[in-house]
Amino acid sequence: MAAAATTGMTAAERQKRLELRDLLDAKYQWIDRTWDAVFWITAAFVVGGAADITKLLFAGDWDFWTDWKDPQWWPVVTAFATIIIPSALQWIQWVAWRFPTGATYTCVCLFLASWVGRFFQWHIAEGYPLCFVWPISTVPAAIILDWLLMKTRSFVLTSLIGGPIWAILVWGFNYIPLAPYLQPAVFMHHVLTVSDVQGIAYIRSQTPEYMRHIERGALRSFLGETQYVSLVFGGSLAVVGYWIGQLIGRYLAVKPIGKYIKTY
Amino acid sequence: MATYGAQVDAGRPTDWWGGWKTLFVSCAVLLACNLFLWVFDYKYALLIGLDSSTHAFTTHYRALFWGELISLGLFAGIWYGWIMRTGRALAGQPIPPAEEVRRIVVLWGIIGATSLSLYIEASFWPNWDGAWHQTMVRDTALTPTHIPMFYFFFPLSIILAIGAYLYGQYRLPVLYSIKKGFPWSFFLLIMAAVLEFMQVAFNEWGHSLWLSEEFFSVPFHWPFVAYGWLASGMFAVWGETIIRLYGIENEARTVEIPAQTAAAGGR
Repeated sequence: MAAAATTGMTAAERQKRLELRDLLDAKYQWIDRTWDAVFWITAAFVVGGAADITKLLFAGDWDFWTDWKDPQWWPVVTAFATIIIPSALQWIQWVAWRFPTGATYTCVCLFLASWVGRFFQWHIAEGYPLCFVWPISTVPAAIILDWLLMKTRSFVLTSLIGGPIWAILVWGFNYIPLAPYLQPAVFMHHVLTVSDVQGIAYIRSQTPEYMRHIERGALRSFLGETQYVSLVFGGSLAVVGYWIGQLIGRYLAVKPIGKYIKTY
Repeated sequence: MATYGAQVDAGRPTDWWGGWKTLFVSCAVLLACNLFLWVFDYKYALLIGLDSSTHAFTTHYRALFWGELISLGLFAGIWYGWIMRTGRALAGQPIPPAEEVRRIVVLWGIIGATSLSLYIEASFWPNWDGAWHQTMVRDTALTPTHIPMFYFFFPLSIILAIGAYLYGQYRLPVLYSIKKGFPWSFFLLIMAAVLEFMQVAFNEWGHSLWLSEEFFSVPFHWPFVAYGWLASGMFAVWGETIIRLYGIENEARTVEIPAQTAAAGGR
C-alpha cells in the first residue's frame, strides 16, 4: 500500500497491473514464441506487398528513375503514398502490443520488397543499371514517426506533427543518394544533369519524349522555391495519407475481428 | 472417416515440423512455382514474348497461360473437394484442445502462404510489369509479365483465401461455423483477391483504349491498390484465432484443474 501511495497508483491501476502480471506469468500449453515468430515473418510479406503496391501505383514513376525524382512532384506524391501503410501498421501494433514500431516494421518490409523488385526485375531481367532505378528508403523517417507516437501517445498529434516531418525526412534522407545525379553535365551542347543524361541513354520506348521532366527537374528549379512549396504541400498530403492508413488499420484490420455478416 | 489421432500422437501441434509443416511446404511450393515462372520469362520474354502473332508465342506463352489456368483449376477442385469431403466426415465430432490448436496452426500456414502469394502478385511481379511495359510495346493482353502475375498469382490468391475460409468453416466451427454467419475478416481478404482479378479486366480494357504505359501510376491502375488495403482482413483472421487460442488454453486449464484436484483426493 505504501509503495502504491508513493508511486501515486490508484487501486484500479494496481488491479489492472496485477491482472497483466497474471496474464504474463500464466503457464500456457500451446502459446509460445513460435506464434510471434510466424506472425511477424508471414505478415512481413503482405505488409511489404501492400506498401509496395501503394507506392508503385500512386508514386511509382517518381521512384523508378533518377531523372523522375524531380523537385515538383516527387516530394508530394511519394510522401502521400508511402505513409499510408506505415500508419495502418502503427495502429495495429500499438493496439495489439503497445509497440511503437509499426511504421519502422512496414518500411523495412517495403525496403526489402522494393530492392528485391528493383534488383531482380529492373536490373537483372530488364538490364537497367541499379544507379538509375534504385528505390528510395523510408526507414529513417519511419523511426522518427514511431518515436513521435511513443512520445505523444496520440494518433492525432502523430499525424499533425509526423505528416509534415515525414515529407521532409523522406525527401531529405533520399536527397543524399540523389544529389550526385543532380550534378551538371554538358550533353550535346546543353547543360543537363547526370540523371537527365541517364534518362536519355537508357531508352524507355513506351515513355515518349514529351514525358521527359528535364525542365521541371533541372538545376534551374531544384534549389529554388518549387522545392520548398512542394515539401509543404507534400506534408499536408502526408497528413491525409496518414488518416487513410488509420482507417485501414482501424476498420479493415482490427474492427472486423470476431464480427460476422449475418445470414438469415 | 478422417481422424486426427495420428497427428495428435505424433507430437505437439506447435512443433516446427508438426503443425507448421503446412506453412513450410506450401511456401516452398509457391516459391518453386515463382522461380519456374521467373526463369521461364527470363529465358523467353525478349526472345519470344515481343510478338504475339508468332507461332512460337503460341507454343510458349499461350501454352503457359492455359497451363496455369488448368493447373489452378485442378488444384482448387482437388483441394476444396478434399477439405469439404473430409470436413463433412469430421462434422459433429468433439474436438480435443490439442487438435483445435493444430487446426489453427494449419490455418495460419494457409494464411502465411496467402500472404506470400499476395506479396508476389503485388510487389515482385508488378516491378517487372512496370519495367517491361514502360519499355516494350504491347500487342496483346497476355504479355510475358501479365501471364505469371495476372493469370497465376492473382487467381492463386483467390483460391488460397477461399480455401483458408473453407478450412476454417469445416475444421474450426467455434470460429467459422456457417451458423455464425460469414466472417468479415475472410470477406475482406477474399474480396481483396477477387476485386484484384476484376481490376485486371478493367485494366486490360483500359489498355485496349490507351495502349501505352506512359505513366505506371495512371488513374486506371489505382484500383489495384484496393487489394493491398482490403488484405488487412488477414490481420483480423490472425486476431480472432489468437483470441480463440487463449480461449482454448483457458478451457483446457478449467478441465485439468478439477481433474488434478480429484486425483489428489479432493483437497
